[in-house]
Amino acid sequence: MEVAELVKPFKWADKSPSLELQHEIEQFYYKEAQLLDHSEFEAWLELMEKDIHYWMPIRMNRLGREMSQEYTAIGQGGHYDDTYETMRGRIRARVSGVNWAENPVSRTRHLISNVIINETEEPNTYEVVSSFIVYRNRSENQADIFPGERRDVLRRSEGGLGFKIARRTILIDQSTLLSNNLSVFF
Amino acid sequence: MSFNDGKWTSESIHSLIDTEQGKIDPRIYTDQELYELELERVFGRSWLLLGHESHVPKKGDYLTTYMGEDPVVMVRQRDGSIKVFHNQCRHRGMRICRADCGNAKAFTCTYHGWAYDTAGKLVNVPFEEEAFPSDFKKEDWGPLQARVEIYKGLVFANWDPEAPDLLTYLSDATPYMDTMLDRSEAGTEVIGTMQKWVIPCNWKFAAEQFAGDMYHAATTSHLAAVVAGLPEDQDLSVFQPHMKGHQFLSEWGGHGCGFYLDTARGSVRVGPLVDKYYSEGPAFERAKERLESKMPYHRMGASHMTIFPNCSFLPYGMNTVRTWHPKGPNEIEVWAFVIVDKDAPQEIKDELARQNVRTFSAGGVYEQDDGENWVEIQNALRGYKSKTAPLAMQMGLNVQGKNNPEFPGQTSYVFSEDVARGFYSHWVRMMSESSWDTLRPEPAKATTLSE
Repeated sequence: MEVAELVKPFKWADKSPSLELQHEIEQFYYKEAQLLDHSEFEAWLELMEKDIHYWMPIRMNRLGREMSQEYTAIGQGGHYDDTYETMRGRIRARVSGVNWAENPVSRTRHLISNVIINETEEPNTYEVVSSFIVYRNRSENQADIFPGERRDVLRRSEGGLGFKIARRTILIDQSTLLSNNLSVFF
Repeated sequence: MSFNDGKWTSESIHSLIDTEQGKIDPRIYTDQELYELELERVFGRSWLLLGHESHVPKKGDYLTTYMGEDPVVMVRQRDGSIKVFHNQCRHRGMRICRADCGNAKAFTCTYHGWAYDTAGKLVNVPFEEEAFPSDFKKEDWGPLQARVEIYKGLVFANWDPEAPDLLTYLSDATPYMDTMLDRSEAGTEVIGTMQKWVIPCNWKFAAEQFAGDMYHAATTSHLAAVVAGLPEDQDLSVFQPHMKGHQFLSEWGGHGCGFYLDTARGSVRVGPLVDKYYSEGPAFERAKERLESKMPYHRMGASHMTIFPNCSFLPYGMNTVRTWHPKGPNEIEVWAFVIVDKDAPQEIKDELARQNVRTFSAGGVYEQDDGENWVEIQNALRGYKSKTAPLAMQMGLNVQGKNNPEFPGQTSYVFSEDVARGFYSHWVRMMSESSWDTLRPEPAKATTLSE
């Protein structure tokens, strides 16, 4: 997904997906959210394909005529820019007991909505856009809200939760991150 | 000029830092009036890091940032130089440029349309002829201009016309900066853009840690990051802190650096590919050759550095460079970017950028735990007892014989607070001495400071 594409609204298919597919994918997202909100990080990692690119570009304040450069491009860093291997490292750190940013653990709530599905030319592979609001409450009185949009490529899989995430691009609705760190997953 | 002493006299400022006993008065991290003085006396007079030359490669390219809490615009000029001016219209104080970066031919204030060229010169005032007095002079009402100097790609600015030039200001710290900036004749370039995030803590916790605190990395702070970087078949039981290394305190100016000695460079931190690039092969050999007249570069491992007051970076392939912008005594914004040898292979540039996001960024496995620690310190400092009980800064105090003459300048053991004491001593001087006549680096003074 190139940079300019991120700025544009998600392209809708002419024909809506079946109610069943819509239901299946929404249920997948709700269950995924529940894994994250209940610290089941290793199970969450299992939802990712081995070739995943998990990416959150940095978003800038740009004047109108330069809005096509609102996001950093692929290869230009970001807030997340991870492979399966580096996500695995992050999850190992998270469950190690010495990741002080998340021990004591945060209370998070991942709300997922506005799910729009496009079937692709590849069978059982779907481009899906969804909105999220992630709320994090930690320690005594810290509260963070991370709103944004996810653009996923999902592949149907045997067993597990029925799908795997082959690609996830996270468009956060902040330029300066308004929190002391980004120790939450999206 | 002399300072107008309010609650904080020169004497009371001096009493905040006790370098002989190794004590810090915690109010330096919390007091609103001290903070206001810092904006005037530290941030108003020091060379402050704004970015890298390659943030603004073409004429008209600009980056908006801050000097202390003052918004500024950094713009590439037609003649290739860089100008920095106050991002504020002198008419009613509106911010002139409201984008983070971009390219412009001119800047027009959105409030009443006053327009400025890319050098910050006021060139158009709407209805000037019809409505303004005949003796109104546009040249008197351009935004304030800052001094700009560049050290090997890093762009610094200073509001104070009396301050020494940048090279003098950097004192004898430049060889250590060069381990990141001067590995190759081609120099360095930025990858991507500025990453920004907010940490509710005092700016000095961040600046001092990057200046002189290898201790936190060798003990408890970053254990999770070590786990994240280990091969799958290893766990934390393999972790042994490296006990060999030095820290460097500049002769003048409160700049500091710490580094490990004779160690594997650490794929845990930068990944195997970048680790290899930094520890063997042609790029490493060339860097060694370029730097060996200054120091045995090949013996240095991971290192950290701060140029007083709020410019910090991590050489050796971590390559994050940042300004800790103060936002009141209890908050900072981290503005961080990544640089790389300009002539590095593309696969190294790509991998280094990715590793940086993984390690030293808002979500980085190292950095997220710093954010937690600093916030909790600042929370605790709300208390009366917290503010009145001194904090300990005694590591390395009166410990002699740790200087390593193979490295330039005054060095001590890697686990020491010599640098912290030097950092805060310089802070005291900037906060209490009104004139560069006494502040200016002089051989005699420099000797006293580094004792």
